[in-house]
Amino acid sequence: MTAMERYTGTPKLMVPAFGLGVVGLVLTAVGFFMNPEATSFSYLLGFTYWVGISVAALIMLAIFHTAKAKWLIVLRRTMETMAIAVPVFAVLFLGLIPALKYLYPWFPGSPLLANIHGVELEHLAHKQHGYLNPTFFAIRQVIYFAVWIFVSTRLHGWSTKQDEAGGLDLTVKQRRFSPGALPFLGLTITFAAFDWLMSLTPMWQSTIYGVYYFSGSFLAAFCVLLLATVNAQGKDLYGSVVKTPHYHNLGKLMLAFTAFWAYIAFSQFLLVWIANIPEEAPFYGLRMFGPWRPLSIALFWLHFVLPFFTLLSRKLKEQPRKLAVVGVYLLLIHAVDLYWLIWPAFSGEAGPTFHWTLITAWVGVGGVSVGYALFRARGRYTLPVKDPYIAESLRYVQP
Amino acid sequence: MEAKVLDSWVLAEFATPDALVDATRQMREKGFQGMDTYSPYPLHGGSEALGLPPSRVPFIALGGALTGLVTALAMQTWMNTIDYPLNIGGRPLLSLPAWVPITFELTVLFCAFGIVFGLLGLSRLPQPYHPAFEFEAFRSASTHGYWLSVPHPTGQDATDTTNQLKSLGATQVTVVSGENE
Repeated sequence: MTAMERYTGTPKLMVPAFGLGVVGLVLTAVGFFMNPEATSFSYLLGFTYWVGISVAALIMLAIFHTAKAKWLIVLRRTMETMAIAVPVFAVLFLGLIPALKYLYPWFPGSPLLANIHGVELEHLAHKQHGYLNPTFFAIRQVIYFAVWIFVSTRLHGWSTKQDEAGGLDLTVKQRRFSPGALPFLGLTITFAAFDWLMSLTPMWQSTIYGVYYFSGSFLAAFCVLLLATVNAQGKDLYGSVVKTPHYHNLGKLMLAFTAFWAYIAFSQFLLVWIANIPEEAPFYGLRMFGPWRPLSIALFWLHFVLPFFTLLSRKLKEQPRKLAVVGVYLLLIHAVDLYWLIWPAFSGEAGPTFHWTLITAWVGVGGVSVGYALFRARGRYTLPVKDPYIAESLRYVQP
Repeated sequence: MEAKVLDSWVLAEFATPDALVDATRQMREKGFQGMDTYSPYPLHGGSEALGLPPSRVPFIALGGALTGLVTALAMQTWMNTIDYPLNIGGRPLLSLPAWVPITFELTVLFCAFGIVFGLLGLSRLPQPYHPAFEFEAFRSASTHGYWLSVPHPTGQDATDTTNQLKSLGATQVTVVSGENE
């Protein structure tokens, strides 16, 4: 089977990805000197979009190991490749440092602090200062990336080592390590969402916020996994051994996480709406009334109703190329979802405005991270060839 | 109106699920129709071998879900805005977000009803009597046996069908007759 050959790192995909990424990042840097406020928010969107996908892939990997799932072993190397891209985000995070004071009102010297008055200011200065201060913020970032890099290198390392050595003990290691890593992964992505996104509006808190960010990222990660596999469908590529039941399962997971996203989004909204407390309500007040209202309503229809009913069809889920179209759509709508989360903190009552750095930052971070992931995949097998269960995965059928 | 006659089936037991699925497929390719398989657990490839049309349960489930959705929305709207309007914290009487949890629950409940009862109805279950039950060895279908039933015109010679089933690996073959439903 030629699909068992090593990935040679076709420059066809890697070089354009890197090239686009670098161009995007350079343009974003230019944008930062022209309009630091807007560009900071754009970069945050690009950064949280792609790092979320990478970390979601890592969590997905750990969950599948914990559940001892066999069906996805043919897809596992791609998931590992997505997860192993985490270190590049630690570097890309450095680009966020000059943006911090434009993003977060709690950051010393932030021009946004001028908009905060009275009780709110006091609250920010005293009650939240213990958590929202640059030192502790920096320590937390180090912890997040340390956990993600540690877990992803361990899982990826054991898996690729097994390609050479074979044997069951490396599988056992991955399966023992993953359940232990999951609580740390869950907590880090939750607090990362608090730090990066929720603290844009420090007065507003929601404990489910991390899950909201995670649910969208998880959905996007499945879409990336799907697109990578469909893209590798050609002769002699690993996608050629991925069969209809695998795609059907990916489609089912996409359907499930479309519903999960809606469930979490609504849970968060309902509690704030029904309590109607002055310190909680503004987050939704801004998005429910005035110029943000159409986008909020559109998000409900386009991020939940439309993909949900589309993905209900079994026939669609069994046709990789059609499912890939839904995947592309969901990836785009996930960007809109993050825009809906982030941008109101910037433009406020002005509504959904557009700045060209939104595109360049998204393409920049995406290009560099995809290129880096492909770079890490070079010289390795595209399947865990010596996994003891690979044969079972190859002949997987719907139960 | 035609006079009712008894129905007959040729029953054949196979040793393994694979043998059953294989025999079913070959019998169908020979032109036998209306066959059914019996096994203690779901058979991989069983419905494909029988050539069954796609299940209608998903549509019943969707119908149930939509019924639940509409019922819940209509019920809450009527109760809270017409029958017993209550001002709760100054919220509008028609507060759709507050309707959603109940709507979700009823949608899921009616959908589940649709699946369970739709499945039972389409499979004509529960079935307290079937002529095949008269045959004592058929009991193994609920423990370790894999059975195939082939409809057969009552009173006619079944030797040909019996021999074909035996040549496909049936361990025992018999003919049962009786009143179906």
